[in-house]
Amino acid sequence: MRFSIYRYDPDKDKKPSMKDYELEIEPGSDMMLLDALQLLKEQDPTIGFRRSCREGVCGSDGVNVNGKNALACITPLSSLKGKKITVRPLPGLPVIRDLVVDMAQFYRQYEKIRPYLINNDEQPVREHLQSPEDREKLDGLYECILCACCSTACPSFWWNPDKFVGPSGLLQAYRFIIDSRDTETESRLEDLDDAYSLFRCRGIMNCVSVCPKGLNPTKAIGHIRNMMLNRGV
Amino acid sequence: MAAFKWPITAISSILHRVTGVLLFLAVPFCLWTLERSLNSEAGFLQVKSMLSGDCAKFITWFILSSLTYHIIAGCKHLLMDVGIGESLESGVLASKLVIILGILAAVGLGVWIW
Repeated sequence: MRFSIYRYDPDKDKKPSMKDYELEIEPGSDMMLLDALQLLKEQDPTIGFRRSCREGVCGSDGVNVNGKNALACITPLSSLKGKKITVRPLPGLPVIRDLVVDMAQFYRQYEKIRPYLINNDEQPVREHLQSPEDREKLDGLYECILCACCSTACPSFWWNPDKFVGPSGLLQAYRFIIDSRDTETESRLEDLDDAYSLFRCRGIMNCVSVCPKGLNPTKAIGHIRNMMLNRGV
Repeated sequence: MAAFKWPITAISSILHRVTGVLLFLAVPFCLWTLERSLNSEAGFLQVKSMLSGDCAKFITWFILSSLTYHIIAGCKHLLMDVGIGESLESGVLASKLVIILGILAAVGLGVWIW
């Protein structure tokens, strides 16, 4: 099987380039893209990529495969079409080396939405209770692993990574806005109420089509918009 | 960007924007023809004969096709605002519908103009 891998070492290379590799894979067998990258690294130890849990939980091996963002560890080679598999770093973020990108901008947006529960009421003796119905509202939101596949597939995030919170950050923002135990709903909505933070989303759904956890940031963004609208009238 | 694989939902959205820009650029032409045709009978006849040429017909068709696509895609946006077509499946379906309806409208307009 042939692979074309994005190579760039800013200390040595003037420009990034694509390098071809060949990997023998037994006919009829399958493996995850991450395993293939690992085998290629044995051939060429200079290939750089991030990895950790190898089962789609840590979110560190997000890459762009054949033009689509995905987690290498849960992408089977059999699911990829074409004679050659092209692996590039996540688009839109500065490349540190090869497939490793600088996630600082992405994390800065995450930080902005205050990704923690804030409750200014009197603290209960044991814990904040939540009804099963209220807990259910967090499903499809709390599962985000911050792999950045969605935000780096979003043109609005490419153009305004410093001002647009991006699909991942907004999904997380809604996760806390809708949490019945959080008392900062108003100020959270206030924080997003400008031309860029939320309203750069044009609903093109690139985020939904790449999310490795099957989450839907477009829908979460729609809910936030509706909450803002209700607040405004 | 050339290596990026664009889902159909993104294509229908960028076409929405492209048609929006084209319509904006077409505004002076449309206003000018409107102004000429309302100015006098001679002006009306001048615009009429001008618009009957093949090139002018093509421009008219192009502007009207952009307009119908833009309206259809805009309706999709409004539906999304009320929560319809927000899942991946329905979003893909809606985008396909928008493109198909846009093409059908363009064909219909072509038949009407020529």
